[in-house]
Amino acid sequence: MDDSGDSSHGALLAHVLLPVANEEDARRTARALEPYDPGRVSALHVVEKGEGVPDKTPVAQSEEQAEAAFAAIRGVFPDASDHVAYDRDVLDAILETAREIDASAIAFRSREGGRLLQFLSGDLSIKLVTNADRPVIALPRGDQTA
Amino acid sequence: MSADGEELAKDLGPLAALTIGVGTMIGAGIFVLPGTAIENAGWFAVLSFVLGGGIALLTALSASELGTAMPKSGGAYYYVNQALGPLFGSIAGWSNWLGLAFASAFYMVGFGQYVQAILDIESVLVLGPLSLPSVKLIAFLGAAFFILVNYVGAKETGRLQNGIVLILLGILAVFTVVGAFRADPANLPPGEGLSPMLTTTGIIFVSYLGFVQITSVAEEIKNPGKNLPRAVIGSVLIVTTIYALVLITMAAAVEQGFIAEAQRAGSIAVVEVGRVLLGPIGALALLLGGLLATASSANASILASSRINFAMGRDEIVTPELNTVHPRFGTPYRAIGITGALILLFILAGSVELLATLGSVLHLVIYGLLNLALITFRETAVIDYEPSYRVPLYPIVPAAGALLSFALIVFISPTVIALGGLLVAGAIVWYFAYAKQRTTERGALFEFIETRREDMPDSIVSAASSVHPDGGEFRVLVPLANPEHESDLISLASAIAKQRDGVVDAVHIVTVPDQTSLAYASEHFEDKRAESRALLDAAESDAHVYDVPIEKTTIFSHRSFEEIFDAAREHDADLVVMGWGPDSHGSPGRVESALDDLTTQLPCDFLALKDRGFEPDRVLVPTAGGPSSDLSAEVARTLQREFDSEVTLLHVAADPSDGEEFMASWADAHDLSDATTRVETGDVDEVITAAAEESTLVVIGATSRGLLSRLVFGSSILDAAEGIECSVLLAERPSSRSIRERLFG
Repeated sequence: MDDSGDSSHGALLAHVLLPVANEEDARRTARALEPYDPGRVSALHVVEKGEGVPDKTPVAQSEEQAEAAFAAIRGVFPDASDHVAYDRDVLDAILETAREIDASAIAFRSREGGRLLQFLSGDLSIKLVTNADRPVIALPRGDQTA
Repeated sequence: MSADGEELAKDLGPLAALTIGVGTMIGAGIFVLPGTAIENAGWFAVLSFVLGGGIALLTALSASELGTAMPKSGGAYYYVNQALGPLFGSIAGWSNWLGLAFASAFYMVGFGQYVQAILDIESVLVLGPLSLPSVKLIAFLGAAFFILVNYVGAKETGRLQNGIVLILLGILAVFTVVGAFRADPANLPPGEGLSPMLTTTGIIFVSYLGFVQITSVAEEIKNPGKNLPRAVIGSVLIVTTIYALVLITMAAAVEQGFIAEAQRAGSIAVVEVGRVLLGPIGALALLLGGLLATASSANASILASSRINFAMGRDEIVTPELNTVHPRFGTPYRAIGITGALILLFILAGSVELLATLGSVLHLVIYGLLNLALITFRETAVIDYEPSYRVPLYPIVPAAGALLSFALIVFISPTVIALGGLLVAGAIVWYFAYAKQRTTERGALFEFIETRREDMPDSIVSAASSVHPDGGEFRVLVPLANPEHESDLISLASAIAKQRDGVVDAVHIVTVPDQTSLAYASEHFEDKRAESRALLDAAESDAHVYDVPIEKTTIFSHRSFEEIFDAAREHDADLVVMGWGPDSHGSPGRVESALDDLTTQLPCDFLALKDRGFEPDRVLVPTAGGPSSDLSAEVARTLQREFDSEVTLLHVAADPSDGEEFMASWADAHDLSDATTRVETGDVDEVITAAAEESTLVVIGATSRGLLSRLVFGSSILDAAEGIECSVLLAERPSSRSIRERLFG
């Protein structure tokens, strides 16, 4: 675990935080990161809380979602650790977790969809890039993976 | 992490929980229906609202107890299904789902009335050849908007929700206080008698639907043991008080006949009374209140119905596909989409009163069943039913709650009862046609009847078993590793599956080194694939000898033994038939303790065969009682039926006469009285080994939990098994955990 960072890619990929939304997203994100041979990988699933209103999905289902996403990550990085965060603000949760685990970088894969879809689901990419206090890596979409 | 996670998942404080209840309830019920209520029942309309609140309160007490005992998503449906079984679960689930859809449609029609009044739109819009009532058109558009909001998962904040509830309470408080000053008993329209009052209660009961929604988000409430009952009961008390005061104001602060006139003029009675009491500003405030209230009720109900869908899907009363989460929005979009379509349909099809009353009637059915569920849990003394809140005056409170809920239905208009009855009948048909073959939950009531077969009248036992779920096909999972044992394992599994009309599920687990990703392995391990295909094809032809359907799967995994447990869970297996021995499933995982943990939670029955050839001619069943020996008895009976095996039961006792007595009653209880019985004294291992010499197969029940795991890993093999030369089949059945797990897991 402590032997990360010794590889030639330097410290940038020493400990990568991968925020993932669901199984499919997790699988694709992990595959996109795999060729760069990161040191340590930590997966993060954020459950959006309303702080006063019920969640979009029941707790049991949110946990299922997280578990499925982590399993997909472990299919590529068997030693990846996983984290579930509960927060009203997904961005906050990502940055907070990155600080907690002292990640060297946050890697994500921008998801498809036009402007309307981005607007409806809240465009995280821009917010992440503008607000992060550490390197943010945009992984190639790599649509070749069928 | 999970304990931590659970704490973090809880973000609803006591106030938030309360506002969910109050916010959902204060809606079209109080902003649309008082006019109709007073017109129908005179000043008795006040009593209608109080009676409705009373029935709601009784059910709220029961819901609180159930909610603290089982903080699970799905609320009323979940409790009914767990207590009364899936037939009633199906009725409760469909009633709850459709009831909420009717209620939402009603809220939106109310919303339409308010928008129409505010914008002062013509009541009929003519579009070319079409003429549409504008209220319905607005309701339709409004509903489409709120469905979309829930579909994409855009969320209001808790603060907004609190704000809305506070504004509503403020508006209604001013309205009633000013009304109180103007109240004059002489204004009261005469009461119309008991029967119209009860009929009115049936219509306005739709105003009390929100409190059960609190239990459906119980998992998200902080300190639910305390906060859940407070929120549920508190919200009903608050809302009932407000409704009563509003109704008194409306009946006593304006002259007799005023309401009837407003109704005839097609204007909203509450708003007209507000105009009289507070001038144009009052009317405007009430218009705004009505808008907020109807919108927030509809919004909350759409989300609530998706929770019911989730719980129904989890139990396979409806297809779990319904709960698929949208990859982008993170919402259960299919459930919301279908509920949305129903709401839109209902808006077009029904009148305000019809929608309200259908919403009421279906919820009365659910509330009645919910109270019965509580009584069932208490009376059948289900293990681990430990609510931190208990209803006072049991059994009077839940009994009265059930009785009044069902009794009120009688007073509702015959057309609505017929429609409601049709929907309930539909749910029953649905159960027998669809859910019975799929769902597995039997319900506490059924378990209770089952364990007391002898003391119950036959008619009850047979009625209970005729509605009993089949839990899908009986599925025998066979994890295959060593081709040498494939044929024997599949033969045994097929024989059992054949007797149970089930299927064999052959799974080849290919172990992949940790360094290799599973995705890579499944694409590149060509030789493994070929090997796997050969093994599974062999399994298929062996199963065909018994004429049993077989399913074949190859799983690539980093783990071997643990994967069997995962596969058993995922494939929903009823029984696992596996090999046991050094060449069967390799070494266990790295962490011993994690494995112990796994094996103490068997997902289903397990049979482990120490294979020295499968010859079921003479079967020896050593028994000392216990759940695992029940399983060994079942296996012996199956072999008897399938292969005409000679079965010998063996009991080793310290005292021969006690032993004989045990043996006779055990054989009888397990339907094996035609088997040869032997009772012997002496060293257990030696006796079994000696008896085994005359047998071709020994079927032995694991005596202590986790024995199976130790056997499979060869760390502590039963001494007797070492000396036995024929095949040994070890049977292990998960202990009492199972009920607990299914109920509260």
